[in-house]
Amino acid sequence: MDILKVRDAQDVEQAVRAAIASEQPLEIVGHGSKRMVGQPIATNAVLDVSALNAVTSYEPNELILTVQAGAPMADVLSLIDSKNQQFSFEPMNTSQLLGTLDIGTIGGMISAGLAGPRRIQAGGARDHLLGVHAVSGFGDSYKAGGRVVKNVTGYDVCKLLAGAWGTLSVMTEVTLKVMPRAESERTLVVRGLDDIAANKAMTAALGSPFDVSGAAHLPGSALRTTQGALAEIASPDQPVTLIRLEGITASASHRAISLSVALKAFGSAEILEDAQSAALWAGVRDVTPFAASGPRAMWPVWRIVTPPASGGTLGQAIAKGSQGEVIYDWGGGLIWAALPPSADAQAVQLRKLVNAAGGHAMLIRAPESVRRAIDVFHPQPKGIAALGERVRNSFDPKNILNRGRMSRGQAT
Amino acid sequence: MTIMMPAADQAVLARREAIVAALRKLVPGEGVISSSAEMLPYESDGLMAYRQPPMVVVLPDTTEQVSKVLKYCHENGIKVVPRGSGTSLSGGALPLADAVLLGLGKFKRVREIDFDNRAVVVEPGVTNLAISQAVAHAGFYYAPDPSSQIACSIGGNVAENSGGVHSLKYGMTTNNLLGCEIVLMSGEVIRVGGKTAETSGYDLMGIITGSEGLLGVITEITVRILQKPETARALMIGFAEVEQAGQCVADVISAGIIPGGMEMMDKPAIHAAEAFVHAGYPLDVEALLIIELDGPGVEVDELIKRVETIALGCGSTTCQISTSEQERLLFWSGRKAAFPAVGRISPDYLCMDGTIPRAALPLVLRRMKEMSAKYGLGVANVFHAGDGNLHPLILYDANKPGELQLAEDFGADILRLCVEVGGVLTGEHGVGIEKRDLMPEMFSEVDLNQQQRIKCAFDSQGLLNPGKVFPTLHRCAELGRVHVHGGKLAFPDLPRF
Repeated sequence: MDILKVRDAQDVEQAVRAAIASEQPLEIVGHGSKRMVGQPIATNAVLDVSALNAVTSYEPNELILTVQAGAPMADVLSLIDSKNQQFSFEPMNTSQLLGTLDIGTIGGMISAGLAGPRRIQAGGARDHLLGVHAVSGFGDSYKAGGRVVKNVTGYDVCKLLAGAWGTLSVMTEVTLKVMPRAESERTLVVRGLDDIAANKAMTAALGSPFDVSGAAHLPGSALRTTQGALAEIASPDQPVTLIRLEGITASASHRAISLSVALKAFGSAEILEDAQSAALWAGVRDVTPFAASGPRAMWPVWRIVTPPASGGTLGQAIAKGSQGEVIYDWGGGLIWAALPPSADAQAVQLRKLVNAAGGHAMLIRAPESVRRAIDVFHPQPKGIAALGERVRNSFDPKNILNRGRMSRGQAT
Repeated sequence: MTIMMPAADQAVLARREAIVAALRKLVPGEGVISSSAEMLPYESDGLMAYRQPPMVVVLPDTTEQVSKVLKYCHENGIKVVPRGSGTSLSGGALPLADAVLLGLGKFKRVREIDFDNRAVVVEPGVTNLAISQAVAHAGFYYAPDPSSQIACSIGGNVAENSGGVHSLKYGMTTNNLLGCEIVLMSGEVIRVGGKTAETSGYDLMGIITGSEGLLGVITEITVRILQKPETARALMIGFAEVEQAGQCVADVISAGIIPGGMEMMDKPAIHAAEAFVHAGYPLDVEALLIIELDGPGVEVDELIKRVETIALGCGSTTCQISTSEQERLLFWSGRKAAFPAVGRISPDYLCMDGTIPRAALPLVLRRMKEMSAKYGLGVANVFHAGDGNLHPLILYDANKPGELQLAEDFGADILRLCVEVGGVLTGEHGVGIEKRDLMPEMFSEVDLNQQQRIKCAFDSQGLLNPGKVFPTLHRCAELGRVHVHGGKLAFPDLPRF
């Protein structure tokens, strides 16, 4: 395997141009924390961007952070935390689910676009990526977007790059919007609801004026296998529903009480505060019940995005049909499903249910043989798939960058 | 007219009668308008210094009709300019002499309200405000609120990625969309997203939003709705120095407060607005801030106190806090009427729309004053201070020979300054034709070529809204060519491991 460790954007340009000339696809890697996600890539040449790790500028008063794409997430998170700021889309730390030591780079986080529980309130990675410098599959450095929070100058290319899994361009530098951390948080814990009732409770909470920033449900079956903060609040086999409120202390407390009154019909709610609450949400964000260090390590895990109000019905059907386990985030709009191991991760049956619900499903964790056998990303209707392919071509006509990672037909 | 549009295709114009007849077959009834008198209302949009009669106006009322019209135009090499309510301030809907003007005004239905999924499905001609009105009975609203919200269509909002005074806290259009149906230039109908928080695959909805009608014609939109905040109150704070007001904005944000709205006006804007609506604005200050906090009562009361303390610390000379809804609206009345107010003190004005890093505000205002003296034209400033979006209003008189040109040159200088201090050409009004020729100030040819390649993926012949956004048009075949830089190893000095 050939590994090219680039030092700057010019190196990236050179490497991509050489790859075009030799028709050699490149796998784009930061820390490699998410390498086992996606269709297996058809190449043995790696472009390592981890040396592009500088913080270019951080202006807390402008709510703006510019960093090179290979900057370690851990460093960046502690930097903005020191100014009491955060990425409000709460990016998932995939290390527990995928069983990696490292939590990855900022570029990897944007390319994966895996937003956490606060997505329902604050949006996803795509909503916080303001500008990029990148190298396209033409071998050209280009920039898009800007370094201010409000900008409509030219096409919003950042949207395409967030969640493109490195198939459109090699990002070299990104500008992100950061936001202040909330002063306080409160979590309502309601116990004993089945998936359908929990879905209704979350729908009611999200339709209330109390500005909910997290709504998750963990069925008892999923809690049985979990460790850490989520295990501590769970009694065996008893499901818990979690609803989070954040803001200044007076407001978070007030809303927690008001919301618990509004949800009285679903049962009484215990209210957890600050650190205790935060630990629970880290567990939801990182899907710890299905951690690679736990008993579900060998089970493939699906990430299903679906209309939230019917998430409970879909999740129940999936769990029942597959003998698997599910947990719900985003008020039912995000379902994590761990299914007993099989050669195709039960893709056909699962996607049939997901399609009927109006959602889409991505296989986020599975052995390479399974990822080779099925479509990791949700198959799209012909028209969208063709348009997506034309868009990919507009960045990388020779299919140099992460060839075949998002599309099974391309891996050869 | 100082901005040139692409030369009209005489061969298309020569076929005009046949084209009109063919379009009448596709869109029967009154959906095709071809007489000069009836086409008059479509000659310009909100950028009224520019007018151009279209070749023909087509007003379809189904996605199928849109698809047929586009397919016909695609097959016959005819350009198409889409139009919503025609409120664009950058000329995005300016017709072309040899193009079909495709109006979406008949798409006026709210198709579905789904409170459980907090989603509303609408047709593109529905006005921004009508969405909020349709869900108000259940306490919901649609958050982005451009100033033209009474008239502007949601389809136009998607095309322009419209903002508004609340965008710092609630985002722009792109942050509040769940799905859309678009018709490509080929006539193909594509649906992306739905009632889910994310779309699958590439974020095509994200690239369509804000593409200014160059990628496709939007025929259905699913937006996200929110519960209305329990209450809102505003502070109106005056400062003797612009720098103090700028510091106050920075300090509010540093304190972790994200207000629902945070607006600044400079002295000329304050005076014009006060003379127009009598909102009680202090006239002896250099800058006025209106800061609105929204949320539960306990939160708003607490944050009002915190902001007041911050303002005092920055040397505010006046600070009024709204005690009733009526008073809050009064504070806003001057800001909301700032454009017409300026219209009263000057025969014409140009509204600019750059975004700058907030810290650069004092410098930018100072330089603008110098430019104002140089050009001999007045300028008033309103500013979405929270997100750095500046709206200088340049005062001029179109009846005086040469003044429009002077005003445009002044405006271009302001936008160059925005880019120079690290900002951008447009925060929410779009590039359109207005800032098209300034794009190279911000983007290199390589940057612009990459954007135009995306256009090629949607519209390979460049027939949809040409002449907007991009200063130079290239053929897709030329843009798509990959240059192979020799066969030899081009990175002999790159470390390998």
